[in-house]
Amino acid sequence: MTNTIGITALIPPELIYACGHRPLDVNNVVPESSLSPRSKLCAWTALWRDLILTGSLDIDSLVVVAGGDCHNALVDGQKVSLSGLPTHYFFYPFDTNTQYLHSQLKSLEGFLGGIKDHKMFKYIYRLKKKGLALEKQRVNDNARASDIFSALICFSDMQSDPYEFENLIDNIPDTDVEYSSRVAMIGVPPIYPDFHKVAEEFGLHIVYDELPYEFIRLGGNDLQGLAKSYKDYSFAGPIKSRIKIINHELQKRRVDGVIHYTQFACHHTLEDEIFRDYLDYPFLTVQGDLPGPTPEQLKLRLEAFSEMLEIMP
Amino acid sequence: MNIGLDVGSTTAKIVLLDKSKIIRSKVVSSHNWKELLDTNTDEHIIVSTGYFRRKVPHSAAITEITAASLGVRYYVPDAQVIVDIGGQDTKVIDLRNNRFMINDKCSAGTGAFLELAAHYFNIPIESLGKLHSRTQRSAQINNTCGVFAISEMISQLVAGYTIEEVIHGIHEAFAHRIAQMIPPTNQVVLIGGTVLNTGIVNSMETILDSTIVVPPEPQMINAIGAALYREIRSYSKS
Ligand code: SF4
Repeated sequence: MTNTIGITALIPPELIYACGHRPLDVNNVVPESSLSPRSKLCAWTALWRDLILTGSLDIDSLVVVAGGDCHNALVDGQKVSLSGLPTHYFFYPFDTNTQYLHSQLKSLEGFLGGIKDHKMFKYIYRLKKKGLALEKQRVNDNARASDIFSALICFSDMQSDPYEFENLIDNIPDTDVEYSSRVAMIGVPPIYPDFHKVAEEFGLHIVYDELPYEFIRLGGNDLQGLAKSYKDYSFAGPIKSRIKIINHELQKRRVDGVIHYTQFACHHTLEDEIFRDYLDYPFLTVQGDLPGPTPEQLKLRLEAFSEMLEIMP
Repeated sequence: MNIGLDVGSTTAKIVLLDKSKIIRSKVVSSHNWKELLDTNTDEHIIVSTGYFRRKVPHSAAITEITAASLGVRYYVPDAQVIVDIGGQDTKVIDLRNNRFMINDKCSAGTGAFLELAAHYFNIPIESLGKLHSRTQRSAQINNTCGVFAISEMISQLVAGYTIEEVIHGIHEAFAHRIAQMIPPTNQVVLIGGTVLNTGIVNSMETILDSTIVVPPEPQMINAIGAALYREIRSYSKS
């Protein structure tokens, strides 16, 4: 039987599909939600938790990424688990240890009932290659960042239907973009669905989205391959490796500045100072909380950042 | 000739600049901004800034952050870090690497906090600086959250501190709060209407290791920056 498996952060979607199920990244529903969470630190986890507990998300079980990525998810995941939904906890290794990650993937495979369809690994790999081509399109100024972001962010679950999803990504328009500066987004993706469009209005062309890029960069054809690749997942690893990955991408994409998106009450906010020290670019930090249209104060920051990049020596 | 028009949340300012020389400047309250313009003012030479920048005539509208960066350099060409203390927010701009921070989530560290204190003592906000200078002793205030600070002020008055000493303490708490936003630097330029309060400048000098520079008419800097924008833009990379 095919089940819908909720995932709270990056879990190799190829493994879930290979086990005969469909992943649903619960975060992809959060930006559209208008719920007011009962008790909250980070709005992302509080909202998916409440969406699940109120039955607004149709999932059969939940995989919580509780190590190396998000600490709040561990608690909110347990709240979901107490409601009776089958829940599995997944921990990324902090030290990029392949063997450890392999054992985590093995136990996840067990939770998902075992691999049934090896072909899915190849198929998802092919989709991710298309994702990489899309990425290239925006880096080469041939696509709007808002269109590319909307597609890449869905690579975490391929919208629970990879065949339909392939149709969608095949139809992203080729557009020459004009802009005043090239910028990178690091940190969790913004909780505001219109964020990339707003940035475009201010002449900022976003040529890198850290997490969505990880969704297409990482992959593999079996458990060992997945472990080898996903051990380098930037957001879950030690900050030194993460800085190295980010710096490499920033240079490759010739960015003029970096925007660090942080989420209210997220421990990753504490990394801001480190990035400011180790990424040698004009740097803007923004913070979001509950979903909705990008707030005015945040727009002011984007506009000012764009002006600065444009006119300052 | 260029005109800089800064229409903020409380006051509106105009600066007329001819070949980088200020020929006229004026401040009125925000809702009277129309008084600043003659009926025949050419919109094409106006660059606006401030909260209402898009609601007033302009050929270009720039954010307060850019305006401050340009305006400060008019008086302090080698400026490193700018602290713009506004009524509703405080901005720290590091000109060395084009980075800035804005505190606009709560009143702590903004002019609104001082207004709350002045209101509690039932004194005009302009007199805070004078009262501050009457004493060297300071009643310790730890909180800059408006609500908690008031109750701390009351406790310090009950403990026997004078109003002057409590105001001294308020300014120090305020300066500490802002200091947290300032990157290491040996020079800080303070701008914004709140800087006219000498108590704040004094407290910042005590707390920071850096040289504090207050340009003439610190409340006019953004209007000057807006006026300069058109000149500077022609040298920019675009
Ligand atoms: S923003 Fe931070 S706290 Fe929130 S879900 Fe993401 S990692 Fe967790």
